[in-house]
Amino acid sequence: MAATASEPTGDFTRRDFMKACAAASAVSVVGRVRRATAEAPKKGGTLRVGFYIEAATMDPHLSGSKVDRQIYHNIFEPLVTLDVKLGIKPGLAESWQQPDSKTLVFKLRRGVKFHDGTDFNAEAARFNFDRMKTEPKSVRKGEVASIDSVDVLDSYAIKLNLKRPDAALLATLTDRAGMMISPKVVQERGAELGRNARGAGTGPFEFVEWIKDDHLLIKRNESYWNKEGGPYLDRIRYRPIPDDTVKLQSLQAGEIDVIDYVQPRDVAAVKADRNVAVVDVPSLADFAYQLNHTRPPFNNKALRQALAHSLDLEQIVKGVWLNVGRPANGPIPPTSWAYDKSIAPIKRDLAKARAKLAEGGQSGGFTFTMTTNNLPINIQEAEVIQAQVREASITMKIKLVDAATLLSDGNSRNFDMISYQWSGRPDPDGNTYQFFRTTPGTSLNWSGISNPQIDSLLDRTREVSSQAERKKLYGELTRLLQDELPMVFIVHPVEPKAFSPRVQGYEPIPDGMMRFKDVWLR
Amino acid sequence: MVLHRAARARLAPFGAAVLVAAVLVALGAPLLAPYDPLEQNLGLALARPGRAHLLGTDNIGRDVMSRVIWGTRVSLVAGFASVAVAAVTGSLLGVLAGYAGGRADGLVMRAMDAVLSFPPLVLALALGAVLGAGLGGVLIALGVVYTPTFARLMRGQVLAITAREYVDAARALGAPGWRIAWHHVLPNAAPPIVVQASLSVAFAILAEASLSFLGLGIQPPGASWGSMINAGRGYLQQAPWIVFGPGAALFVTVVGLNFVGDAIRDALDPRL
Amino acid sequence: MGRLVLHRLAATVPVLLLVTAGVFALLHLTPGDPIDAMMAESVDAEAKASLRKELGLDRPIHEQYAAWMRRLLRGDLGRSIRNGEPVIENVSRRIRPSLELALLAMAVSLLIAFPVGIVSAARRNTAVDRAGTSFALFGICMPNFLLALLLIFLFGVTLRWLPISGYTDPVEEPLNGLRSLLLPAVTLGLALAAVITRTLRSSMLEALGEDYVRTARAKGLSEWRVIRGHVLKNALIPVVTVLGLQLGTLIGGAVITEYVFALPGVGRLVVEAVFARDYPLVQGVILLIALGFILSNLLVDLLYGWIDPRIRYR
Repeated sequence: MAATASEPTGDFTRRDFMKACAAASAVSVVGRVRRATAEAPKKGGTLRVGFYIEAATMDPHLSGSKVDRQIYHNIFEPLVTLDVKLGIKPGLAESWQQPDSKTLVFKLRRGVKFHDGTDFNAEAARFNFDRMKTEPKSVRKGEVASIDSVDVLDSYAIKLNLKRPDAALLATLTDRAGMMISPKVVQERGAELGRNARGAGTGPFEFVEWIKDDHLLIKRNESYWNKEGGPYLDRIRYRPIPDDTVKLQSLQAGEIDVIDYVQPRDVAAVKADRNVAVVDVPSLADFAYQLNHTRPPFNNKALRQALAHSLDLEQIVKGVWLNVGRPANGPIPPTSWAYDKSIAPIKRDLAKARAKLAEGGQSGGFTFTMTTNNLPINIQEAEVIQAQVREASITMKIKLVDAATLLSDGNSRNFDMISYQWSGRPDPDGNTYQFFRTTPGTSLNWSGISNPQIDSLLDRTREVSSQAERKKLYGELTRLLQDELPMVFIVHPVEPKAFSPRVQGYEPIPDGMMRFKDVWLR
Repeated sequence: MVLHRAARARLAPFGAAVLVAAVLVALGAPLLAPYDPLEQNLGLALARPGRAHLLGTDNIGRDVMSRVIWGTRVSLVAGFASVAVAAVTGSLLGVLAGYAGGRADGLVMRAMDAVLSFPPLVLALALGAVLGAGLGGVLIALGVVYTPTFARLMRGQVLAITAREYVDAARALGAPGWRIAWHHVLPNAAPPIVVQASLSVAFAILAEASLSFLGLGIQPPGASWGSMINAGRGYLQQAPWIVFGPGAALFVTVVGLNFVGDAIRDALDPRL
Repeated sequence: MGRLVLHRLAATVPVLLLVTAGVFALLHLTPGDPIDAMMAESVDAEAKASLRKELGLDRPIHEQYAAWMRRLLRGDLGRSIRNGEPVIENVSRRIRPSLELALLAMAVSLLIAFPVGIVSAARRNTAVDRAGTSFALFGICMPNFLLALLLIFLFGVTLRWLPISGYTDPVEEPLNGLRSLLLPAVTLGLALAAVITRTLRSSMLEALGEDYVRTARAKGLSEWRVIRGHVLKNALIPVVTVLGLQLGTLIGGAVITEYVFALPGVGRLVVEAVFARDYPLVQGVILLIALGFILSNLLVDLLYGWIDPRIRYR
């Protein structure tokens, strides 16, 4: 036994077998993924990635933009990470325990070094949490608000003392809030970190340079702690290409190897193109419209319901989204464990819509304005919705605005119905709490909804730790939301990502973040 | 030289024909358009040009031909209205500057220079953001952008004319300022203004199309040729007719208007 | 001459004042502010408020303008709100692609316009002339975004001869750089070529009708000799004027081309900055563009006056 166990059987070593199993299980969950089974990964090459905008900052604690996260997940590492089913698995933390609902203890991984050579340990972890809470420009404050203090138990263990039970915290720590930056880099570089992240992370790749408006370059970390699998690529080059059509054409022309998103209208053509491989990644996002509860007409619940019942979600998803996504029943996406498929999306029912109109005192219909982004798919969706509600005698005007104006109108509640697209978070709390909980002042609760039942449900989902319990609560919440309608939910989109056929080993995770650790080029 | 003018003149009728056709199409849109331009037919989206739909359908099944026909209204209104705004505003400012002279002249001309130094697209963008979306905003933005040209022109004319003898004579006879302006200055200053205006209309239509391409201007579901081209941009490979329908209309109209503008210039300004 | 230059330069000051005040007013009238745009997914009101205070955005408009002016007089254009870098750096980074594109576009346009314009004038009213003037008309009337799309489709995707997006610096990598700029340069250059062709043709026709040309012809010189020796030089004057004016507008005005071809140029910088409500950046860039435009106009006027002694300013 001892002699033969370590012998490779033919070409297939034990490690390859394990990788094949992992790859096979990944395939069974989502779309077409290239398997790494038949060929062995090769080291080398530069992966050229095209994103829709430029990154904003290289400092995870100060970042508020989605594109930043894409890069962070390759050079920084969080304490815990997500697997393909959105389960939480060890990252820089080897294991964790919750002795009580207000305490979280992490045992940290040993032997991990930051790219600048310093050790990752409990002191470093505490430094990071402190910075997130106290740095004036920190955007992570809200995410770690439930953490009261962090104790260092020994050089590789920390204890988080929470102000209140927070069942969603672990999931939050799989992204920016859990990412560890080298304290030495922060202390030496200060604000420069936003532009130069050399030596700052622990990930499979390290930062090389960032030439604004041109490219951002990262290279393989030769002393990466995880010896299993990659990283294989020599370098990764990110380029911002704001125009969708140009981005796709660049991929088709072979100028870049990866793009983060294919527009629904291009999906069919791209799938038929043999020069390009497409992976459908069901996302955590939800696309909806917030309804303003603080002024007419949508302060009237019956009129909100009239609107909801005059929409034909299936027609929208089919005609505008070309079925690259599913009609939504609420804020929680189908990829989440909390999704309740027994709750159907609101169905179109013109008779009911008219009844609701009468109930709301507007049997002849009413007029309102929809504010939406000046983007092709938003415009299309708006036009389709306009035609749909017209059949229920509701007149809708369309107001197109740019992103800054949209945010301003939303924050100041200067709208009737406004488009809102949330990129989604792994824990359902991230898709619900801040939108529907009564919040004074400016917040993401643009609708202004204040419903005590919803509030207490939301609070309980944070206190309760059993997933089954929380799922029940979220089911109740979804039903309630379909009645109260702070938002009308339209679709949970799929985010198709496209690759050159040379790209192998990509494993899609539903948070949409492109992690290139095990990716290699043929 | 004479031959030169003759060749030009041959093209002028073509230009006039295009202009007349455009106006007729714009006015007669409700009668001429085979379908309701807003009527969506998601099942028939991206249909090729054929019997039922001469220019095919767009991404939500609307008839491209009907939308191009109705788009004529938007383009013509945008072109003529913005030039009208610019011509009137510019002329008034020019008369003020040329006539009043001194401080007022300096102030107005500096302001005009300021507007001219602005990259026009950026100016239109900023104005559009301030005025809010919609055709009105675009008209004002374009009006502002073209005003300096007219102001300068008018000012030059005023200066030249007031230097002439008959104005001196009128003044000597005791005619009030505005009378001189109305009876003597304006009629003589008018021709170059008209020439400039007629040349500008074509460019104003192009400019409106560019602004619509960038997403400013008429709000959906209304369509201008520029916004149609922008919307069809992503479908260039699959359904090029969405771009070429309005593109051809835009091109032909602008060419025709250019001919008309040239012809008017030749007629009114024999020196050139 | 020197007095003229000084006088003109002095006149630019009030113009620039008006421009900057105008930009300031416009920007602050548009809804939305840069902090909201930067921190879109965050609702931390405190962080936003403290950032606003730090940037002085909570003070009244005239105070902000005065503060900006004071800094400007010290030679400091401020820092971009989005990336914290000095405005000057942002601009200098983006000016190279715009400049290279403008120069390349002018080169393309001259390569096309000269032969077409000269031949059209020389062979007036023949089929060649008509083809030439038709081409000129086409160039002027073609919307440049439409042309850009067609070129991308033809050369980029179907034939795959040229890259369709992104920018490679020709100074560093001549071949790839030129390839990346060729399509956008042709897009801009064709429209410019049309204008120059027309100008050249009409100025040549005018020159051809002059007395000295008749004299030269009477002396027995060949047509081409006449053109090359006498006509061309004089006909070039308006062309130089047009080119000079166009350079000024090309740099800040090639927004659509830069956008469609994803070139990191100055035009696109301004538009992005406007969308992000990055006040210092917008103000700084517009000021620089306006300054550049005014200076290039001045240069052209001076050049004009110098070349043609008949034209002098009172």
